[in-house]
Amino acid sequence: MMDFLEIDKLSAFYGKAKALHEVSLTVKQGEIIAIIGANGAGKSTFLDSIMGLTKTEGDIRLEGQSLIGRSTPQIVESGVGYAPERFNLFPYMSVYDNLLVGAFTARTDIEKNIKVVENLFPRLKERRNQETHTQSGGERQMVSLGRALMSSPRLLIVDEPTIGLAPKICIEIASVLKRLRDEFNTTIVITEQNANFAMTLAERLYVLESGSIKIQGSVEELKNDPQLTEAYFGH
Amino acid sequence: MLEIIIQGVLLSGLYALIAVGFTLIFSVGRVLNLAYGAYIMVAGYIYFYFSQLLGLPPIAGLLLAGILGACMGLLKYNLIVKPLKADHIAVEISTLILAVVLQSAVILCFGNSAKILLPIIPGVIHIGNATVTYNVLVATIASWLILIGLYLFIKRTHVGRAMMAVSMDTKGASISGVDIDKINMITWGISGFLGAIAGVFFASYTQLSPTMWVAPLIIAIAIVIVGGIGSIIGTLVVAHIIGFMEIISVALISPQLRGVFTMLLIILVLVIRPKGLFGREEL
Repeated sequence: MMDFLEIDKLSAFYGKAKALHEVSLTVKQGEIIAIIGANGAGKSTFLDSIMGLTKTEGDIRLEGQSLIGRSTPQIVESGVGYAPERFNLFPYMSVYDNLLVGAFTARTDIEKNIKVVENLFPRLKERRNQETHTQSGGERQMVSLGRALMSSPRLLIVDEPTIGLAPKICIEIASVLKRLRDEFNTTIVITEQNANFAMTLAERLYVLESGSIKIQGSVEELKNDPQLTEAYFGH
Repeated sequence: MLEIIIQGVLLSGLYALIAVGFTLIFSVGRVLNLAYGAYIMVAGYIYFYFSQLLGLPPIAGLLLAGILGACMGLLKYNLIVKPLKADHIAVEISTLILAVVLQSAVILCFGNSAKILLPIIPGVIHIGNATVTYNVLVATIASWLILIGLYLFIKRTHVGRAMMAVSMDTKGASISGVDIDKINMITWGISGFLGAIAGVFFASYTQLSPTMWVAPLIIAIAIVIVGGIGSIIGTLVVAHIIGFMEIISVALISPQLRGVFTMLLIILVLVIRPKGLFGREEL
């Protein structure tokens, strides 16, 4: 049985340095998985590699179709939306224009997608005309997720959705990601340093250390795993 | 007084048109295109060739100059800028070399002496005690129309917005589905077209000579530095500051001072406000 997303022995390179070592994982349609790891473990590199932003070896298949050799815009068009850790927003454009750029490959769905995004994040509707360089971290995260959703993605990948955000905003982001999965059947891959947060959201976890997967399993299985408890809960 | 205002408005409109194509490349492609002045010069000669030597109607000459200008921009992006992508200094040196090569090519084809372009539309109009040629008036109106069109294009169309997006964050644009290479090509094409149109008007404002590329290049650089990157409105405002400064210094002090205040303004702004008067903070 073919999985929705299949990553097969993926290695990534920065120049000659290997930042990711033969990472393999699978994600079912409508599933939320989390990649946990410390700073520098290779989480962002892994997500950048799915988007075709790094030099890689190995295979990435979305619904059986290989994404290798496709450009980043082609990967977006294939149905992958990306909200990167640093957001990479367009600081001197309004919230609304940022969202419109996100619709570059899905121009026929703009009205529908704007409604979806502004329904998920009512604050973005209130701040439609605000330039994003004046916004708080939480608002930028919302714009970043909203922009990714404007391409009508079937797979959403989110790099550290809660980093530096207030607990209240973290809860809001988590509930939005859950709604996306429940209402739109969007498949979601997130990375996290915060294992607690990851466990409240994801069904399965992968632990990444120095570019390799060290532990993997369902949240139920890993909840009491001593290795994980020691390394990522700090007690 | 009225004369100064009228001449200032006319010259500033032309300067804005000269600068906007240069600003565009600098903002979107992050390339200081030192061959931009040479586009302006070559476009003047292309117009001269088609409309004065071959006798085509002026509007056809203007359009041909614009189209060939766009082609020059595209060629330059694909043959020089793209292969040297990562190395800004190499790109700038090669654009400067390209300017000198184009100058030699023009001397080879048309000779070293200056040529007078016939006005695109002959005739004059008197406003108060000021005499304005239709030629300059048309240049200014065309400049305003082009700038308004460009502004609307950037604000209202997907491709225009994508150009702004690329100028602010290339990774962000790429993960939004924007093909950076394609946007760069479009930007170089538009820039070449605008430079060429500006070139024809500039050549008919002054005269056609193989070394005429230096002055518009300095004007364009000044407007980008003083205005700051990424702002069409900034380009327009600063074009008026510089245009009026020139007209006033020439009329009230001495024609020899043309351009000197522009240089002083560049240095002043670089020292006091390096991001320009209207530019955005680099994040």
